[in-house]
Amino acid sequence: MSDVPETWRKPPFIANPVLRYGLAVIVLGYMAWSLGTLPLDWNRIAEGMTRAGRIFSGAFPPSFARSELLIEGFLESLKIAVIATAAGILLSIPIALTAARNLAPVPVYVIGRGIIIVARSFHPVIVAIIFVKAVGFGALAGILTLVVYSVGFVAKMLAERIEEIDHGQIEAMRAAGANYLQTLIYAVFPQIMPRQIGLTIYQLDSNLRASAVVGIVGAGGIGSTLANAFGRYDYDFALAIVMVIIGAILISEAISGHVRRRIW
Amino acid sequence: MVSLDTRPEEWARFTPRQRLQRFAIFLATVAALAWSLGSIDIVWAWVFDAPQQMGDLFGRMVPPDITNIGTILRVLVETVNIATIATAIAVVLSLPIAYIAAQNTTPNRATLWLARLILVSSRSVNTIIWALLFVAIFGPGVMAGIVAITFRSLGFIGKLLGEAIEEIDRRPVEALTATGASRFKVILYAIVPQVMPTFWAVSILRWDINLRESTVLGLVGAGGIGIILQGAIDTFNWREAATVLLAILALVILGELVSAWVRRRII
Amino acid sequence: MLRITNLVKSYGSNQPVLKGLDLEVPGESMVAIIGASGAGKSTLLRCINRLVEPTSGKVELNGVTLTALKGRELRLARRRIGMIFQSFNLVDRLTVMENVQSGRLGYLSTWRAALRRYPKADIRRAFELMERVGIAHYANRRADELSGGERQRVGVVRALMQEPQILLADEPTASLDPKTSEQIMELLRSLSSEMALPVLINIHNVGEAKAYTDRIVGMRYGRIIFDGAPGDLDDVAMDEIYAGVPAEERGLPDGAPALAGQAS
Repeated sequence: MSDVPETWRKPPFIANPVLRYGLAVIVLGYMAWSLGTLPLDWNRIAEGMTRAGRIFSGAFPPSFARSELLIEGFLESLKIAVIATAAGILLSIPIALTAARNLAPVPVYVIGRGIIIVARSFHPVIVAIIFVKAVGFGALAGILTLVVYSVGFVAKMLAERIEEIDHGQIEAMRAAGANYLQTLIYAVFPQIMPRQIGLTIYQLDSNLRASAVVGIVGAGGIGSTLANAFGRYDYDFALAIVMVIIGAILISEAISGHVRRRIW
Repeated sequence: MVSLDTRPEEWARFTPRQRLQRFAIFLATVAALAWSLGSIDIVWAWVFDAPQQMGDLFGRMVPPDITNIGTILRVLVETVNIATIATAIAVVLSLPIAYIAAQNTTPNRATLWLARLILVSSRSVNTIIWALLFVAIFGPGVMAGIVAITFRSLGFIGKLLGEAIEEIDRRPVEALTATGASRFKVILYAIVPQVMPTFWAVSILRWDINLRESTVLGLVGAGGIGIILQGAIDTFNWREAATVLLAILALVILGELVSAWVRRRII
Repeated sequence: MLRITNLVKSYGSNQPVLKGLDLEVPGESMVAIIGASGAGKSTLLRCINRLVEPTSGKVELNGVTLTALKGRELRLARRRIGMIFQSFNLVDRLTVMENVQSGRLGYLSTWRAALRRYPKADIRRAFELMERVGIAHYANRRADELSGGERQRVGVVRALMQEPQILLADEPTASLDPKTSEQIMELLRSLSSEMALPVLINIHNVGEAKAYTDRIVGMRYGRIIFDGAPGDLDDVAMDEIYAGVPAEERGLPDGAPALAGQAS
């Protein structure tokens, strides 16, 4: 029998051993360092278990006594979501058109992409705080926040879809003498409509979830109700609110998924 | 033979029934919008005032005040650490949960429902709400933030991983079972390699999202740069707030670039 | 020696797929099982190593009653039964060496398996077998980089690494082109005699079955209705096995004599 090897190692993912071990060292070192430098108050954390016990016993059973407040808060969140989705979608279309490389000249494209990047980078809660400071507490701040949130997502997705469309259809329209708007309507919109509708439904669902959250910093809706309950240590009411939020999200997600599957 | 005199003079894209459907949907949408706009608690005067208010606020932010840039950057790094550690913990914890949440690998129906319950509650409760809860339990500070992000990420990663496990090719599983390998070794050799790409993609994606989430933890007291932002806003120090916002913007963009690069290298 | 006694398999209250089979396969023979689709060939094979649970009956291998084993004992017994599959059933993303070594998983400790630290003897054996079948140079390649015939060879080596007492082959050549198909059958035949290994092959290409095996078992509707030498498989027998199946689908090679009563 010819000489067969007796040892075998699987070819490593990173061929260069220096790189491989160096990376492992860096990762472990980072873990140790970050855990070490994080300001953790261990005494307070240890107390956490007893506090948790107190909170959970205070939270059960959930109290629906003030359900009118609950319903009112929930409905406000719903309205915020509806309005913000409508406005957001309407705004997203022109922004997406400016952010599509194949339709927009370079300087316009840069601005369009820039708007989208800024809209996406800030967590809606941050945006909400700023709007609250600018236009005051309440639903208006919530709507403005979610419009920005919607634009950040929908415009980006739409722009990507526009960049993928079949250019031939645009060419054909231009060759036939159509102006910019007509080309849009006949060559671009039909290709992006299905995605657009799917995005609208998805964003409505997203906005409903988000509106619950931005309320926590004062932008209206059920989030405000929740923040108040927490602030007053009404943990049983808080639990009721959270349950309603979860229920609403699940229903909304189910409807949204179902509708999107039907139209696809 | 069709006579040339019978050319149709009308054409419509949709059948009458379809037109009715489309109109009904349109009507429903308009109704929902009208109801929302009509009954919402807004002072419409303020709506028209809003652009001017925004402009006013923006004016107060320029030029950004960078006197505390050292502290800001230090806390920014802390924010990154919170996001990274929490994501790492969540990734590890979600492995067994995803395994149990997948229909083809779960031991029995009870464990399947348990895992699904954990994942759904984790996903449906927003990070901020988790943060509120953990601030009440652990007190203000980064611990609350880390646990909040971990809890939220569990549901996200667990759900996607569970779906990946359900979609694997079962044939190698059959083959390795036939060799007499134990369940664990079958998972190791037949299942793990198949879900690896999804695993990395989902983990990196969640890290990117968590980077964003961790910037706002401080606004409810759960650590990170949100605390500085809240402080600046509360003291009406808009110019410092602007610096913090710019720092956050830079962080998020950097995070996206890094995660896109890593994703390309690994997958 | 494989002995099957009165094997029955039914799904629910439907007609049983296997209706009381008796079969004996002494060592060192290559046995082909032929039959129309749905005759129960695959089920029979899988009842032997209990990938499918028999409803009743007994399966014995070299004195061990496989049907009576549970849990760990079953796993230990499965180590001695090698199986190759129509779709090769390899782990595509792993290297050929890992796939081949996965045949040893029943013998390997967990940590060695996890870290890919295979024992020297196993590595040597793997290389010997891979050279024997002609794929040694692919050891470090990913399984999905290989052609169909090469992948089936990997499957064969994986099965042989188990040091099996019997080899089960479920339509091993169905996914291969005719030339590669013959190569694999030739490989199985020579391995069978070299290693004194009984081989049980499900096959639908009757020509190959006749050319490469010592004994043919014909199944129809869950029963064995033919059991004899390839030479004894005449048109009458073929008719009985494949009755109702049109001539074109009986897996005969081109140029086979037309069956009595059939137009050419």
